[in-house]
Amino acid sequence: MDAPLIETTGLRFAYGPIVALDGVSIQIPDGRIGLVGANGAGKTTLLKLLLGVLPSQTGTISVFGIPLDRDMLGIRSQVGWMPEGACLPPDQSAADFIGYAAELGGLPVRAARQRASDVLGIVGLHEERFRKMGEFSTGMLQRAKLAQAIVHDPLLVLLDEPTAGLDPEGREEMLDLITRLDEFGINAVVSSHVLTDIERTCEWIVMLDGGKVLRTGPLTDLSTPDEVEVEVLGDAGTVAKLVEAAGATVTVEGPTLTVRWEQGDAFDLVRDALVEADAGVKRLGAKKTTLEDVFLSTGEEASDG
Amino acid sequence: MAEGVVFDLGYQKHEGERLGRAGAVSALLRDGLRRVLGIRRRARRKVLPIMLLSIALLPAAFFIAFGVIAGELEVVSADMFGHAYYFDLTGAVALVFIALSAAELLVPDRLHGTLQVYASRPLTTVDYLAGRAASMAILVLGFLWLPHVVLFIGRAWVSRGGFGDYVADNWSTLWQTAAASVVYFLAFAPLGLVVASVAKRPAVAAGALMGIISVSGPATEALVDSGTFQPIGLLALQHNPGFVKDWILGDSTRTWIPEKAGFDPAASLVMIILIAVGSWAVLVYRYRRLR
Repeated sequence: MDAPLIETTGLRFAYGPIVALDGVSIQIPDGRIGLVGANGAGKTTLLKLLLGVLPSQTGTISVFGIPLDRDMLGIRSQVGWMPEGACLPPDQSAADFIGYAAELGGLPVRAARQRASDVLGIVGLHEERFRKMGEFSTGMLQRAKLAQAIVHDPLLVLLDEPTAGLDPEGREEMLDLITRLDEFGINAVVSSHVLTDIERTCEWIVMLDGGKVLRTGPLTDLSTPDEVEVEVLGDAGTVAKLVEAAGATVTVEGPTLTVRWEQGDAFDLVRDALVEADAGVKRLGAKKTTLEDVFLSTGEEASDG
Repeated sequence: MAEGVVFDLGYQKHEGERLGRAGAVSALLRDGLRRVLGIRRRARRKVLPIMLLSIALLPAAFFIAFGVIAGELEVVSADMFGHAYYFDLTGAVALVFIALSAAELLVPDRLHGTLQVYASRPLTTVDYLAGRAASMAILVLGFLWLPHVVLFIGRAWVSRGGFGDYVADNWSTLWQTAAASVVYFLAFAPLGLVVASVAKRPAVAAGALMGIISVSGPATEALVDSGTFQPIGLLALQHNPGFVKDWILGDSTRTWIPEKAGFDPAASLVMIILIAVGSWAVLVYRYRRLR
């Protein structure tokens, strides 16, 4: 069996008295991984531990099946990092700095310059490659940060809040770029507190809260296809009573009902109830469980437990 | 008319060699040289290093020109103005150059967050600092030694005994001036890097280093003169390399403060090495997060 892309066991890290990560044990497969959690959940700390920038106080880390403490520099030569904060010198052109970043990743000078040009084209900065980065907009800076992270052709890239500060258009473009990393043969760990970004780009998630792992697994496992959501035109209360009488679980939010029925097809049950209540329907469909729903419900379970 | 065809090759994997850690350090070194000299930066960034180098070379050019004229007029010997005195003349300019170089090498990486990029590459703290220090060594030694090489060649050129004879008789001057340049580098550069490692702006770092070194002379001299505590004389930071330089070149251009305090040049050399080693330890501690 292939080794997981990333594996941690019992990882703990504290900044003085503040525990940032506590007992984090995860196994992450290849692909695009979403690292989600509120601000302060420990996402950036986990990324820094994976890079070896912070030393783990207890626990072990393996990347590509190699223990980090055995070959940290070897691992780093195959990993890219897009930090959340600024990391680009404003007095250098994008072409110069990205080329330099490739050389720092171990590429020979000629190959580094060629790849810098190619990668700047891929992230949409080809026209601007000779401009000083101090003149870049936030969107262009984010693209340049992504370029420096992938320019040395890593196997894994760690992206910390890649859409931070972007306008809607810039955000869409960044998410498209992240989705394309698969085509390039680059695995990605995307850290974000914007859950819709993770839903758009990732196949697997690791959910952190207060330094602990709340949940980890494929994103597809989180959906609940047996729930139906209907927006009623007319008396939603009557429709709710009818479906409840049949043994279904109903949540009412104004004219919108969310119906879960274990004994049969919830769509049929809702249809019959609408007919019986002589109500119209504005919208009807399978309830889409968002990552936000899962995060909130899992968080509540954890705090209750 | 031939038609052009554009091929979108998309993303290409890098199948060539990877130079690893050595390649990363080498890239750091070259980046340091470019940064200090303002290469591939705006024109105004090139002005100061070019100006300082010109100032350092100017006396050599002047004395060569003077030597040619004096030699032709046969009024004076062309080998006036020794190398030891030349170090004293350019020492202040060298200090400015070292202060600016150290600040330029370390401060922007922290100021602009670029250290995070280094942290994700196959580099250790020592690699990063060694790469930066190597850039500085090449530049500072070049800055200090180049005028002496120019002066040496100029003096050989105007020598009455002929170029070849002058070189044969005085070749030791080349290694002596090189060794003295290393001493100046060790005396100022590590300290400059330490100051740059804590400063928030390059100008502040450069100013602070020049201030510390300039003030150390009068302050320690006053204490030595008062007879309070003679070992303080070894903390006359600008005087230690001058004293050792005179020792290496077999000359004496002035009475140095450590000399006044009763120490010999070897004690000044040990002090320079201790400060350099201590500075290196502080730097490694400051940058330990790069691991």
